[in-house]
Amino acid sequence: MNVRFIHCFAVLLLFGSGPGFGSEAAKKTPGDWERELVSVEVHRKQYDYFQPWTKHVQTVVKAGLLIGPREILTTADGLDNRTLVRLQKGGRGPWWSAGVKWADYPANLAVVTSTDEKFWAGLKPATLAEPVKKEEEIQIIRWRAGNLEVRKAEFSRFTVSHPNMSDAVHVQLELSSEIDGVGWSEPAIAGSKVVGLVFSQSGNQLQVLPSPFIRSILDAQKKGHYKGLGYFDFTWQPAENPETLDYLKLEGEKRGVVVIDVPDKRDTNPVLKPRDILLQVDGFDVDTQGDYVDAGYGHLLLENLSTRNKWAGDPARLKVWRDGRAQDVVYRLPKAEDAARLVPEAPFEQEPEYVIVGGLVFQPLTKNYLRSWGQDWERRAPFRLAYFRSQDPTPERPAVVILSQVLPDFYNLGYQESRQLVVEKVNARKVNYLSDLQQALKKPVNGFHILEFTKGETLQKIVLDAATLDAATKRVLDRYGIDKESVIVSPAK
Amino acid sequence: MSNKFLCLALTVVLASSGLAAEPERSVIQIMTFSQQPVWDAPWRFDPVRRSSGSGFVIKGKRIMTNAHVVSWAKQILVHRYQDPRPYLARVKFIAHDCDLALLEVEDESFFSGLEPLKFGDLPKVRSTVVTHGYPAGGEQISYTRGVVSRIELQNYVHSGNRSFLTVQTDAAINPGNSGGPVVQDDLVVGVAFQGMPGLENTGFFIPPPVIHHFLKDIEDGFYGGFPMAGIRVVPLQNPAYRRYLRLPDNDLGARVDSLLPIAATEKLIQLDDVLLRVGKYEVASDGTVLYEGNRVSASAAFQTAQRGESLSLKVWRQGKETDISLPMNVYEGDRSVGNQYDVLPRYFVYAGLVFTPLSLDYMKTLGQGWRDVANAELIYELYYRRSEAQDSTRTEPVVLASTLAHSVNANFKISNHALVDKIDGVRIDKLEDVVRAFESTTNTHHVIEFVPNHAFETLNRVDAEAAQAEVLKTYGVPKDRRL
Repeated sequence: MNVRFIHCFAVLLLFGSGPGFGSEAAKKTPGDWERELVSVEVHRKQYDYFQPWTKHVQTVVKAGLLIGPREILTTADGLDNRTLVRLQKGGRGPWWSAGVKWADYPANLAVVTSTDEKFWAGLKPATLAEPVKKEEEIQIIRWRAGNLEVRKAEFSRFTVSHPNMSDAVHVQLELSSEIDGVGWSEPAIAGSKVVGLVFSQSGNQLQVLPSPFIRSILDAQKKGHYKGLGYFDFTWQPAENPETLDYLKLEGEKRGVVVIDVPDKRDTNPVLKPRDILLQVDGFDVDTQGDYVDAGYGHLLLENLSTRNKWAGDPARLKVWRDGRAQDVVYRLPKAEDAARLVPEAPFEQEPEYVIVGGLVFQPLTKNYLRSWGQDWERRAPFRLAYFRSQDPTPERPAVVILSQVLPDFYNLGYQESRQLVVEKVNARKVNYLSDLQQALKKPVNGFHILEFTKGETLQKIVLDAATLDAATKRVLDRYGIDKESVIVSPAK
Repeated sequence: MSNKFLCLALTVVLASSGLAAEPERSVIQIMTFSQQPVWDAPWRFDPVRRSSGSGFVIKGKRIMTNAHVVSWAKQILVHRYQDPRPYLARVKFIAHDCDLALLEVEDESFFSGLEPLKFGDLPKVRSTVVTHGYPAGGEQISYTRGVVSRIELQNYVHSGNRSFLTVQTDAAINPGNSGGPVVQDDLVVGVAFQGMPGLENTGFFIPPPVIHHFLKDIEDGFYGGFPMAGIRVVPLQNPAYRRYLRLPDNDLGARVDSLLPIAATEKLIQLDDVLLRVGKYEVASDGTVLYEGNRVSASAAFQTAQRGESLSLKVWRQGKETDISLPMNVYEGDRSVGNQYDVLPRYFVYAGLVFTPLSLDYMKTLGQGWRDVANAELIYELYYRRSEAQDSTRTEPVVLASTLAHSVNANFKISNHALVDKIDGVRIDKLEDVVRAFESTTNTHHVIEFVPNHAFETLNRVDAEAAQAEVLKTYGVPKDRRL
């Protein structure tokens, strides 16, 4: 009895010695986490957008947390284009077949499950913290070589920014830690609870999806309320220059931010107008820097109010200063996945689209294509293509198709140095999508295909022989070992 | 006696030819003290810079050198071969496009005893040349021997946006060699002018055709520059395209793919015209001409014309040959995307806001890696809009270059280096519009809008006007404008 007491005391001492460590910490041992934390192995196809017909095989091993009956929570990163998912518990031993119950890429969350009863035996659900406290001692845990690794992390700040791959903006927890190679859903824990999942790392800085954000989505999923993340599609600027608020004739104390750009949707009357002063969102006062005071996090950027327990299609009550008085308007949150972008993310779970025409390779311009220039792609990708990201789609140009490269063949002699040209017209038909290109190629002009590209410093026109095109395309496919001359997944527009 | 006379005469002749055989006597060392303007604070100048280059005496008591040796010069000193005395020189003609200049020396005695060097022809590839000059690393003249490696059109880095005929040699051309003669058989066959970072034992010199073009240009007492046709020619080697244009399947003819906005060119030349001949040069299907035995870009053929002359072209249009006489004039439309010289930058300062035209020189104030850090709108405006969207092109895009802090502008959150769209509702097409907008409004506030997204800042007009004199005084700005 004495020995047991002493043993327990020692455990208390080890885990309770840190400052600000809650009393609950004492109740949890590494053994508890070993029953909550599992490994998720994902085999997936990875596409090379420079050669969109090629697939590489990639395997990633991520962390997963048991959160409920037959539910393993993990980030959605790396789950797209999966071919096989397996689970492992205890950091070692057999792998169990699994499937993805749901994956939300804009939110970067997914739930994985297994039909094998034996897998669930001995596992125990983790608890997600609500709210996250700055003063708590935080650790990162993961399975490493069959053992549970626990590494210290320090709170840096809460930020509001775009996560990977989405227009949706939400609160994130930034931690600092010496741990290496994380970003695959490793839990950040404080005491006995999970405060978030690590989804990226840059040097010592870790970006973490905070538990309250995760809980809000899990709860909405359970209740069937979840409709995907929304976002604010208008642009605003801070109003820290008091002269600006005077110019806009705001009465009372200086507050709010100024709306400067509202997308032209043409079919609907915009709720907001340029030069509105945005004073409140859902009852939260907006200051001149664009922050509001969040009960859980303190000062946060107002963009977080687009994802704070709200989903696409939900109303946001805005108070604006317009025409010399405060007015209430209701703004419906557009869906982040539907964000109208001239250079969109390529859809998830979809192989890259392309069309090969006599060795000329055409692709839609997507962020995935631009990312092919590597980590520093925003600087290294061709400027003109990258610049399209800052342009809005218009009825005249809703999307961009490029001639990305030419696979050399005698048929395309004279054009073989051409690359990254923006297609304007083919056989006098405007080309915005690959389907436009395919339609246009059905109507050659006097036996020729005439391809026109955007004006600029690069080649503006190519002429191809129509009669020998199919044979040339077949020859190119054979020579370069390409299975299909085209992949077009999105519906014809 | 008569034998003695003959001998003496021979000696004189020998001595005379000895001068020609010692071209180093006519090679000049040039010391330049220069000061460049600061493009984001255009009323200021960088510290005085001392640099050295080379030159050589040509007929007419003039010294030929590179433009970049004497650009932005405040004082030019020239030294004769092994003569310690400095002489004061000044620029007589300067050609920034082809990086050549002619200097005059105030004291004409400088030229006494110096034999002007004569020009030879374009040297042959594989022939040997000797560069003469005063490169860094010593005080005395230096000679390096090399072989002509190739001849083609290269970008002239002094202007940055012009390419001319260039000769590459493996003779070392180092800083200080610039402007020095490249000699073959006692004749100048080039002016050393640039190297290429990363390439060892590679130097470039300006060949006689470019030098003669410059010398002919200034015969009227004024340097106007190389004219440009403004025709972008691309190879025409695809059999289908040749059939589409009903062109014989041979190696002749390159296609006109785009045109610069030059009135005469746009009037006389059409897209899909096929250039068959430029002046006396046949144009091959790869867009080259055979120029004195060297296959070079067809641009070289256009560069044979002087400004104001017309160049005879033969083009293939709609299935038949057509002769065209194309007036050739200097193109200034791309001045802002090249390095600019001689003219001090324009600016206007209002309430501490410094406005200046967008230019490559301005962009370089952002540092060597300016392309990585610059606002994408500025890069697009400078390099792309003119060719892609002529309807929205501004004559002279204006940037908010910097902000001289004062309480009147202290709350501005817009970053500097932003492209100005409108001021008080006036679209800013050129710098004068900025002045007009600020000086004509009577509203309580000035509203300055930027590209993109209609971001804007406001100034209290009365406060701004009151602050103007104080800002200028505080920051030592002598005048609020240079227009």
